[in-house]
Amino acid sequence: MKGNHAMSDNNHSDKRPPVDDETMRPHVYDGIQEYDNRMPNWWLWTFYITIIFSAVYWFTFFDAGIMPTDEERMAAFKNELEEKRLAAAGDINAETLWEMSGNPGFVSAGEKVYRDYCMACHGANMEGGIGQSLVDDQWVWGNTPMSIYEVVANGSPNRMAGMQAWMNDIGPQRVSQVVAYILSHHTPESLANASSENPPIAE
Amino acid sequence: MAAFKKPDLETVTTINRDGSHFIVHPADVKGRFTMWRRWMALVLILVYALLPWIPVNGYPAVFLDVINRRFHLFGYTLGAQDLWLLFFLVSGLAFLLFFITAFLGRVWCGWACPQTVFLEHVFRRVERCIDGDATARRRLDKAAWTPEKIFRRLLKHGIFVLLAAAIAHVFLSYFISIPELWQWMQHSPLEHWSAFVFVFVITGILYFNFAWFREQLCIVICPYGRMQSALLDEHTRNIAYDEKRGEPRGPVSAEGAGDCIDCDRCVQVCPTGIDIRQGIQLECVACANCIDACDRIMDKLNRPRGLIRYASDEELEGRPMRWVRPRTILYAVLLLVGLGVAFGALQKVQPLSANVTRMSGAPFFMTADSIRNQFQIRISNKSNEVQRITLDARVPEGNIIEKATVVDWQLDPMEERIFTWVINTPRAGFAGNFPVEIRLESQPGGWTIERAMSFVGPDPKLLQQP
Repeated sequence: MKGNHAMSDNNHSDKRPPVDDETMRPHVYDGIQEYDNRMPNWWLWTFYITIIFSAVYWFTFFDAGIMPTDEERMAAFKNELEEKRLAAAGDINAETLWEMSGNPGFVSAGEKVYRDYCMACHGANMEGGIGQSLVDDQWVWGNTPMSIYEVVANGSPNRMAGMQAWMNDIGPQRVSQVVAYILSHHTPESLANASSENPPIAE
Repeated sequence: MAAFKKPDLETVTTINRDGSHFIVHPADVKGRFTMWRRWMALVLILVYALLPWIPVNGYPAVFLDVINRRFHLFGYTLGAQDLWLLFFLVSGLAFLLFFITAFLGRVWCGWACPQTVFLEHVFRRVERCIDGDATARRRLDKAAWTPEKIFRRLLKHGIFVLLAAAIAHVFLSYFISIPELWQWMQHSPLEHWSAFVFVFVITGILYFNFAWFREQLCIVICPYGRMQSALLDEHTRNIAYDEKRGEPRGPVSAEGAGDCIDCDRCVQVCPTGIDIRQGIQLECVACANCIDACDRIMDKLNRPRGLIRYASDEELEGRPMRWVRPRTILYAVLLLVGLGVAFGALQKVQPLSANVTRMSGAPFFMTADSIRNQFQIRISNKSNEVQRITLDARVPEGNIIEKATVVDWQLDPMEERIFTWVINTPRAGFAGNFPVEIRLESQPGGWTIERAMSFVGPDPKLLQQP
């Protein structure tokens, strides 16, 4: 292990103790030879531990199946995500949207979403601008909570001038939050008494 | 038994023939290099322990906030997206190490490496205090397990574990900051079990390393040590024995003998158990203990110092050392490239970053009298202050944009948000797409970011038709 590096070729090397042949390995490569010394025991132990680990690993993952494989964990995560998505989107109807609009936490989260994404067109106070006003009693695609949700989620049916779909950008949770924020400026009665240019696209 | 193990060139002194670990007990040494190394170690330990405590621009001098992916380095804050420049910093520092090695050999190992600093100046000092000098330590190793030996061993290893734990905690504080560390330390380990396991494992590794493993790390594991034969040449000033002056060895009064009296002091003080008189060897960590030991002997004999000294092969042959060599030029160029790019880029990294993208869906929208483009601007505030953003848009002469969006954006410290930004141009007179240059400015930081986009609309010919 020692003596086979370049510096041993320098002029100090004549002071080396004589090397007896039994201490050398028989092979010679380009004049480089190797001493026949034992590896440090601690190093050998890292090999033994690796061997033991591989047996334990093989047993737990592939033989006994105690630990889930990566594929199984991946599938479990996907299921979990799907459940969350369904939970976030599944129960959306007029009633739950009104309920959300009465929840201060939901509404303030919705307000933050509104300020980031919607204010640019609908104005700081929802008074409208490029987009429609959201506080008056005139609606374009229906004066129902689900029509509003539908327009936010999937965009205005008027593709050339109307609003884009937001579902892919901000996800189901923030769509619900921002609809709840809009609804918090109305009541079931006031919305029912408002007018709509087109028949509501969702009930 | 012999006072120490006689080293040879066929084997590594610290590995016995049967593969077991031979524990080296280096003798005490005094001298100028030892003193300077001790001062250096003190400074380095202070730097290590104090960096997380010194605030620069509101953050610790070094705070690698892995949880939030924000890396605070001496007042600069880098996001995960800025980390490419670390490639240049790290490679620049590596070539700096090569550069120094080409002149002075393994000075890093002997003077600045944390392994040597903690081992020689902390753990071995504790061992010296509790177990006594090298002879006493060897005797104690051999001794039967008397109550006194048990007490000494418990005391020593107890202190070792505490020191290892302290080093591990300082290490953790680089990643979570001191106040956070203090908070976590007062809670149950279960609340931050991953950090607890981290510190526990690091403590274990450090204890094992400094209590038992020691020079094995330098001899077998450290990759820098293994590269020496490629980094050194005949002009490198290593720690070297002046053979011409020393040989043949002999007693003080011997006729025709050289200056070396073969007292073996240089071997006794060596922390890796080698004999430097056999030439430079892979175990040598260039600690200079043998220089100080030999100088003291030479002083006593009224012979000049420096039988063992920092000298290159060429100097030992009486030829001058050459500083400018192909390898030193190459290392210098590479280190300047690395560090130059890293520090240049660091000046350009600002605590504000922004990206502008077109909003998904149709590229433009038309109403009876206007054309509209919609953008999303993602802004990341990497400073520790609330930033207010203003936006200034410029278009070529003859084009008009109406900014439909009132820009009054605000970002909390470390916040990243996406804002919608909408612009209109009158439909009448639209003559085709035109560039829009926007300039974001943040206050109180005063940082600016410029981005070029284009306003797109329909083919103007189509607009002419009624």
